[in-house]
Amino acid sequence: MWSEKYRPQKIADMVGNEDARTKFVEWFGKWKKGTKPLLLVGPPGIGKTTLANLAAKQFQYDMISLNASDVRNKKRIQEILNPVLGSSSLLGRPMIFVDEVDGIYGRADYGGAEALIQILKEPTIPIILAANIEVSTKMKSIKKAVKTIHLRPLPPRLLQLYLKKILQNENAKLSPGNLIKIVTGSRGDLRSMINSAQAFVTGFEPATEKSFESMDIESVVNAFFKANSEDEARMVLYSLRIDPREKINAFYSSIVTSSITKEQMTKILPILSEADLLYGKIMKTQEWRLLRYLDEILMKLYQKNSTIRYSQYNLSWPLLNRLRWDGKSIKRFASIMAKKMHISKSTFSTFYFPYILLCMKNKSLELELEESFEDILEKEMKLLK
Amino acid sequence: MSWRKISMKFPGKCIVCNKKLEVNEIGLWAKGEGVKHEKCGEVKELKCIVCGNRAGCPKCEFSSDCDLNLVSQLCICKNCLEKTNSFESYQNSTKKKFPLINI
Repeated sequence: MWSEKYRPQKIADMVGNEDARTKFVEWFGKWKKGTKPLLLVGPPGIGKTTLANLAAKQFQYDMISLNASDVRNKKRIQEILNPVLGSSSLLGRPMIFVDEVDGIYGRADYGGAEALIQILKEPTIPIILAANIEVSTKMKSIKKAVKTIHLRPLPPRLLQLYLKKILQNENAKLSPGNLIKIVTGSRGDLRSMINSAQAFVTGFEPATEKSFESMDIESVVNAFFKANSEDEARMVLYSLRIDPREKINAFYSSIVTSSITKEQMTKILPILSEADLLYGKIMKTQEWRLLRYLDEILMKLYQKNSTIRYSQYNLSWPLLNRLRWDGKSIKRFASIMAKKMHISKSTFSTFYFPYILLCMKNKSLELELEESFEDILEKEMKLLK
Repeated sequence: MSWRKISMKFPGKCIVCNKKLEVNEIGLWAKGEGVKHEKCGEVKELKCIVCGNRAGCPKCEFSSDCDLNLVSQLCICKNCLEKTNSFESYQNSTKKKFPLINI
């Protein structure tokens, strides 16, 4: 991945936050036993972890990396850190890096935060913490024991500079529109920008460079079934960011009204039902992380040169037409007849209507009706077996 | 709206930084808006790390997506960006201006 390939090798290779980097290096350079630990605060993807890694490498420390889940439990934190803090000389030159420290509080915190604060108050080795936010009231106690350095999001133009350098090294090109789209879309997050750029360059964007994000569902479903390759179809599908229920419904109505063979239909419908089951499970358990699998299930619907096209309604047009127009006439007929027979409309439609039709067909019954009903009744009589 | 440079007759609170403006201090005032320090009234612009000039934020293609108060305060101007080896120039300038980083 480009984000790994172009991970800076030295602190000087990083982009942006020059002041913060200087302060960080200064802290490391002047570190001695008892120096307050360091808290790096900033949004994701701007290099907090990278900074800690590079510092360890450049100042020749052995970094012990922990994350919030390691430091939730007092016993666990002591198990990990006491050997390091007690006999540092045996373990080379250790330093501790605790990532996402803003996530250690909450219901899952079993005294870990308190234990960590105790360690922070008497540091015997360099300790660096990283957090996305510092405003939480619970971070206050940690903040008192540390020196804070803020890392800011990068200005878009600086991101553009870095992206252009990567594209040049990769001998890849992006249209100016896509370049701007990627840079602004990343909102100062360098890692996300590099990942998006790699996705664009490695064919996650169709040759036409047409953005599907702004297209309506009809165009997307059609583009999916018309796609020339699986990659293109996947790109189209992934770009359709609508309610999953609507997404499944759109594919369902398009498929059931298409003119594909019974065999194809038999093959395709279980895929839709698999997608439907997944959605049902998500709704029931509220485990929205499962949503990522929905598109991969729907991808199985893709077949090259498919004749399926978008349809809004899940019934065929002749049937829909009949339901809409003939249904209206039948309802009016039922209403008149129900009044005459002193029964409800639904009783007439359900129980009486088929027999009346049969009697009319056998010419054993003649009703004096409006002319407008003749057509519809004849049509209904023809349908009787 | 036009901001007028005034000498403060009464103490006030700057609408940008929320700090006090003392009597006789020079401030900027606009009807219905309030007062602000002269310094707070300046249009904020990032600095180009390469040439040291203003980065040209008002004309930047990303101006609507760049929160000048939030982002890292050194950027690159269009001229320096369009030069060949702009990335190398950026790195050299960073190393020169922030020698501690280059350990």
